[in-house]
Amino acid sequence: MTTVENRPAPSPRPARPPREHDPRHPRTRLAALLDDTSLELLTEDDDSGMLAATGTVHGAPVVAFCSDATIMGGAMGDRGCDVVVRAYERALANGVPIVGLWHSGGARLAEGVLSLHAVGRIFAAMTSASGRIPQVSVVLGPAAGGAAYGPALTDVVILGPEGRVFVTGPDVVRSVTGEDVDALRLGGPEPHGRRSGVVHVVADSEPAALAEARRLADLLGRHGRAGDFPVVDRDLAVHLPESARRAYDVHALVNDLLDEDSAAELHAKWAPNIVTTLGRLGGRSVGVLANNPLRLGGCLDSTSAEKAARFVRMCDALGIPLVVVVDVPGYLPGVGQEWDGVVRRGAKLLHAFAEASVPRVTLVTRKAYGGAYIAMNSRALGATRVLAWPTAEVAVMGAVAAVRILHRRRLAEVAPELRAQVEQELAVEHAEMAGGLARAIEIGVVDEVVQPTGTRTALAAALASAPPARGRHGNIPL
Amino acid sequence: MAEQVRAEMVANVFEVDVASGDRVDSGTPLLVLESMKMEIPVLAERAGVVLDVKVQPGDVVQEGDVLVVLE
Repeated sequence: MTTVENRPAPSPRPARPPREHDPRHPRTRLAALLDDTSLELLTEDDDSGMLAATGTVHGAPVVAFCSDATIMGGAMGDRGCDVVVRAYERALANGVPIVGLWHSGGARLAEGVLSLHAVGRIFAAMTSASGRIPQVSVVLGPAAGGAAYGPALTDVVILGPEGRVFVTGPDVVRSVTGEDVDALRLGGPEPHGRRSGVVHVVADSEPAALAEARRLADLLGRHGRAGDFPVVDRDLAVHLPESARRAYDVHALVNDLLDEDSAAELHAKWAPNIVTTLGRLGGRSVGVLANNPLRLGGCLDSTSAEKAARFVRMCDALGIPLVVVVDVPGYLPGVGQEWDGVVRRGAKLLHAFAEASVPRVTLVTRKAYGGAYIAMNSRALGATRVLAWPTAEVAVMGAVAAVRILHRRRLAEVAPELRAQVEQELAVEHAEMAGGLARAIEIGVVDEVVQPTGTRTALAAALASAPPARGRHGNIPL
Repeated sequence: MAEQVRAEMVANVFEVDVASGDRVDSGTPLLVLESMKMEIPVLAERAGVVLDVKVQPGDVVQEGDVLVVLE
């Protein structure tokens, strides 16, 4: 580079370290991501603003690229975008995961429309790879404008503590809308981890963010096979409270269902009433979708249905079998929900399951009611197998709620002090008539009652009973 | 900094487990709401001291209502 000699005299500010010693150097970041000594550069280490490499993660090959934050804040021009497109071509040719490390203010202004065109070519490359190879993004610094939509098009977005994702930065927001906001509050971990759903995983350091990327690339890219490791049973019912009315946090059950220390939760704080966790069962990659009664009683709502639908479609596209843990009282009622499009967004989950070809097994732990019963990978939507614990209820609604509707007139005639008792009697009668679990088995919507102590092996066996398959579709960021 | 713990959904207050001045850890149950025919504990998201309890058993709360203020 000849520009170095032409730089103006050093400013009074402390001088930056030379580029090759800068911790933000893309080669340094790529080396930290990849297994020791596995890095091989795929493109020239020059001033293009991007650098790509091949290497391994937990021993399995991947392709990776990284913004060059040492040059123009990582701004993306024609040549830098070429680097990313080449990285995608290589990853697709080899059928391996691709990991992008982002730290970029967006398109290179000086290049004008050429840079916009170039950034658009990255988006096209990402979209054509969608559902064919796993794509993981790590945002380590600002990712603005085009650099925001790059990660957003991929399967999983991890945000480091310095990561800030926005279309337009604080200055533009202030000048246009008058809103006074800093980059952290506009596009940091809090808004994207909790409110927007843009980010799947928030990490509290750059090494932790890279470690998450390695873990997820491994789970998404190296699936393992049924029977790789023996599945050990343990009593999963210990994670349920004694009272069937009591809500509980489903995380302990999900983590215990998976192999030890294998759980990687996505979107932990966004739409927390449904849990989406990748992990392994007997060494095989699985995606677990579980209602979480602790939040909103475990009801499905518009946001959680969308979160779940995207997770199901990602797992299906990448060939990762699904385990669906059901304890759902229904859809969340309310004007806000209806106006928020719970019908449109809930339909995404129905669509996602009904089109999925990956093996997918449902486990009803406590209850599955109403429309939410259908949405949670029911038999009608094509579940590979539906299992239920002995105490599970599968019904249109709870028995008491049902008799309040079915016997409204009769109950109105009963003296108020006797009403609760009559309700209970009618509820017992109704539950017998509706048939409960036995009836669900009779009509074929539940295949088998399994004990909590035999659930892990039952799930693994049920997943293994279907041939490995994957959906032929991309993973549009729903 | 005071943190307001709010109701996530319309509910009845079923039980209140803390009083002003109590120290709580992350995960400590603050109160139990009743909604969708379920008893739903509301847990502290982080450690702190209870500054104020805004509700009592039997109250009806709307989505977004403040339940407890933590310091």
